Amino acid sequence: MRKETSLIDTQTEVKSGAEAPTARPAMIKVAGLHKSIRNGARMVDILKGLDFEIPTGQFAAIMGSSGSGKSTLLGLLAGLDTPSSGDVFVNGTSISYLPEDKLAQVRGRSIGFVFQSYQLIPTLTAFENVLLPYELNAESQSDGKARALSLLQSVGLSDRLDHYPVQLSGGEQQRVALARAFVLRPPIVLADEPTGNLDSTNGSHVLELLLNLNKTEGTTLVLVTHDPVLATYADRRIVLRDGLIISDDINLNPATL
Amino acid sequence: MPSLSYQSAAKIAAREMHSSRGKFFFVILSVAIGVAALTGVRGFSASFRTTLLSRARAIMAADLSARTTQQPTPAEIKGLDQIESEGVDVTSVTELLSMASAAKTLDPLLISLKSVDPSKYPYYGEVELDPAGKLSDALGGDQVAVADDLLVRLKLQRGDQLKIGTKLFRIGSIVVNEPDRLSGSFAAGPRVLISRANLDASGLLAPGSHAGQRYLFKVPKPKNGSPISDDAVAALKARLVKLLPETQVTDYRETNPALTAGLDQATSLLSLMSLVALVLGAVGVAMAMRAHLAQRLDTIAIMKSLGATSGQIIKIYLIQTLLLGAAGGLVGVLLGVGVQLAFPYLLANLINVRPDLRIDPGAIIAGLAAGVLTTLLFTLPPLLDIRKIRPILILRRAVDDLDQPIGKMFLALLRGQSIATDSTLTLDRLILYRLKKNLAQLLAFVVILAGLTAIAYAVSDSREVGKYFSLGLVSVLAVLLLASFVVLKTLKFFLSRTRLHLPSVVRHGLANLYRPGNPSAALLAALGMGVMQIMLVFLMQHAVVQQLQISAAPNIPNIFLVDIADDEIEGMRTLIQKSPAITAPPELLPVVTSRVLAIDGVAAADIKTQNFPHRMLQSVQLTHHPDIPPGTTVVSGKWWDAAQAATADEHPMVAVGVRTAERLGLKLGSTITFAAQDHQFDAKVVALIKSDGQHAFTRADFILPQKSLSGLPVVWYGGIHADPAKVGELQRALYAAYPTVTVINVAQALETIRSVVIQIIYVIQFLAAFSIFAGIVILASSIAGTRYRRIREVVVLKTLGATRLRIASIFSIEFAVLGLVAGLVGIFFANVIVRFLLIALTIPNQIQWSWNIFGLLGTAALTVATGWIASHRILGQKPLEVLREE
Repeated sequence: MRKETSLIDTQTEVKSGAEAPTARPAMIKVAGLHKSIRNGARMVDILKGLDFEIPTGQFAAIMGSSGSGKSTLLGLLAGLDTPSSGDVFVNGTSISYLPEDKLAQVRGRSIGFVFQSYQLIPTLTAFENVLLPYELNAESQSDGKARALSLLQSVGLSDRLDHYPVQLSGGEQQRVALARAFVLRPPIVLADEPTGNLDSTNGSHVLELLLNLNKTEGTTLVLVTHDPVLATYADRRIVLRDGLIISDDINLNPATL
Repeated sequence: MPSLSYQSAAKIAAREMHSSRGKFFFVILSVAIGVAALTGVRGFSASFRTTLLSRARAIMAADLSARTTQQPTPAEIKGLDQIESEGVDVTSVTELLSMASAAKTLDPLLISLKSVDPSKYPYYGEVELDPAGKLSDALGGDQVAVADDLLVRLKLQRGDQLKIGTKLFRIGSIVVNEPDRLSGSFAAGPRVLISRANLDASGLLAPGSHAGQRYLFKVPKPKNGSPISDDAVAALKARLVKLLPETQVTDYRETNPALTAGLDQATSLLSLMSLVALVLGAVGVAMAMRAHLAQRLDTIAIMKSLGATSGQIIKIYLIQTLLLGAAGGLVGVLLGVGVQLAFPYLLANLINVRPDLRIDPGAIIAGLAAGVLTTLLFTLPPLLDIRKIRPILILRRAVDDLDQPIGKMFLALLRGQSIATDSTLTLDRLILYRLKKNLAQLLAFVVILAGLTAIAYAVSDSREVGKYFSLGLVSVLAVLLLASFVVLKTLKFFLSRTRLHLPSVVRHGLANLYRPGNPSAALLAALGMGVMQIMLVFLMQHAVVQQLQISAAPNIPNIFLVDIADDEIEGMRTLIQKSPAITAPPELLPVVTSRVLAIDGVAAADIKTQNFPHRMLQSVQLTHHPDIPPGTTVVSGKWWDAAQAATADEHPMVAVGVRTAERLGLKLGSTITFAAQDHQFDAKVVALIKSDGQHAFTRADFILPQKSLSGLPVVWYGGIHADPAKVGELQRALYAAYPTVTVINVAQALETIRSVVIQIIYVIQFLAAFSIFAGIVILASSIAGTRYRRIREVVVLKTLGATRLRIASIFSIEFAVLGLVAGLVGIFFANVIVRFLLIALTIPNQIQWSWNIFGLLGTAALTVATGWIASHRILGQKPLEVLREE
């Protein structure tokens, strides 16, 4: 059942994503992806062999119930973890078995991340949090401050620059996290339940900002959610259950805010 | 590759420090206490040792002396001039027996004449005169200074004239004490001090006269103001031994073995304390940093997900460590200097030594560097652990696939099975992965040990201590890690079997020890190390102080009696025993004067001696004693039994002082041919002995069974202890009864030594107490540091309805087990290391059972109490308050 808390018109027209002709090159490619983890004495298979591609600029929503493997998949796409077997390619390069420091570079330069629980560094101010990826990854930091400032302005936090995360509301913290995700102009942004911890007003505000930034920056966006309403905004919807893709549809008419 | 600028890294590091002020207070405190103890104890003991060593030098009045009975050859004089031209001060002291008489009565008296150059003698200490004054004034003109028993015997007064040789001298003052009285010869007759010029004028020094000559040497002080090194003294000694083969060269350390041994033991102990303080501080830091990084897991994972490399993150925490180390070091140095300044005042009532305080910038820099360096070394493992933190932590708390029990994975791969989690994993990949993963940790371990050993050598003034300390540290760490592994495994096994039969509080408390994420192993290692160090200091100071107390025993002989005839001895014994001034039974020593004719068949003139004038073989003193005399220990060989003693007239045997044996090339089983009067006999060396320098028998280098010496003429020497205040009275009584017996009063000199040894004891005890206290504070703060990990658990338990008592009980069980295991391993190793150290320092050792048990229970009690205190605030708070803070 679809939740009837929809803020917007959610009429969609769908087509199978796996069959959809993709003229654009694949920004993300997943091949034979398996992931098992040990839980006490027994092994748990979380992902049981996934294959799909996400073309450049696509906004894909990964859906599934709790325990379906969607967060694990997101972690593997971001190079936060190593698959048990199979491979993830980002922009044509396999990232699954890169050494830790090379992976860190890929994450820093190619991927922006938005988390459900914001994950800001508590000891840094809003401005410093946004600037951090710059400090960690950018070859030159000359335009970092201007970029951070303009992003914070665009998420409406220009008066909150010197506030620490603890001094910001949940919505504000997530807006800082959005600015941080986009600061290095990464080709990919991965979002894990970005509105999951927010009330509906703040949630839709954050979503709006995310989509706007995605549009203006031309980013490939992968969003993990269990909220079907959120998924209506996506170009494509991949549904997981028990570690397998049970449906993969192209949304020809994504909803708009 | 882009890298995080130092500025940004420092900013992040500083922000974190600021936001966790409370926690970092413990880190800074740990480093500060460690560094303070290091600089304070080390600085104070260095100045104290310098002060005491100059007192030890006073017993010889010089750094070195060379004793001879011959005039030096021209080549030797040239050599001595060369040494003098290099800055070494040289003066000669001539001692000879002569007759003196009162100018009016012409009563003759045998005197022990000592001529010195009062402008140079003594290099250390001072000659006490009555009336007080300078020696050069007292011996100026035609004046001499005499011992007061000369006045008694000749019925003279100050100002009267005394005829020595062919010349009349005026008695200007009375010699109360000479600094080198104990190292000079104990000749018969009262002392008369005379200047070199007056001795020459007296005409006594004719060629062939039997004068003993002592050259005194003073090594120049290094230009940088630091004290004269033992190496410089040893180098000069080696040179003198070579230059003057017919002299006996001794350095100041040999004059009073008890005092110098006391000083050496004190030095070893004090450097041990410094090391212990430092390592304890470092353990505190390591524990705090571990706890800190464990709390920073999420932050580190976020940064990694934002593209930070492990290197960049390590950089941040490295800067943080450096800042903490430097801050702690600075506070510590300030505290240390304060401690160094405060010690003399705190101890002012106990000791009258006021060491000349030198706040040495080198020592401060060393303290600071040692603080920062040890902090860095000990934070290395938690810092390297940063590499293991996977960014996926933010999304899922998962176990790394490749971190399964290695044994199972190996077996599976060897059997050709694939690992369930990763079908592509091969044996070589697994080995490579494991090696790579553990290589850094292994390297870190090696670096820590090497670094620590280097620091131990650098700050330890005793090589022995440095060596045993480093070795002990390695073994204790390895065993502690092993012990924690075994204990935790055993607990798990035990619990899996008995789980349902145990009360739930006990079960929960024990289970807490091995649950994932609990720093039990680290805490166990830290606690064990700490307990080992504290017990080490305690047991060492206990043994050293006990040893020193023997040296400072109040009833060792302070009056020596020379030349008691055989027929006087019984009367003398009775008189001494009756005297109220006597406080200990007399030690009476029979002496047979003899010559050494040959050793192992080699004639005396051909014996290869070392640092022993051949002429001295013409007159050696033999003594007899049935058993091992007081203050003497057998170094090798065996003392004779009653049966051997009974046949000793037919098979003479001898126990020889170990140093004399070395000088004469004697070994166990060697044969010495002695000749006393017209009797000649061969004695077999059966034991080598060592004396503590405190008793009458100290001066006996050859002890035989009585039967070996039967029939030979004996004179007696005696050592008695009299109340220093009543010595004058006793001297008069002895003189009245036995006018030919010389009484040498060393009460004054011995009091000085005794007071120095007592001062050493006080300082050792005080500093040990300080080190132990510092150690306990640091350990307590390490335990307290783990409370941050418990907050969540407490909150969950409370939310589920657990009472505070129940939570406290769970923690008590957990902490008590930790304390007992750590205490057991720590105390065991402390005892092992103490044993090695005491053997190396030749101090007798016994296992202190009661103190060890006390230490064990104390550790458990301290651990539980600290655990309670640290958790008190958490226990008292409402769950939500804590969660909000989190």
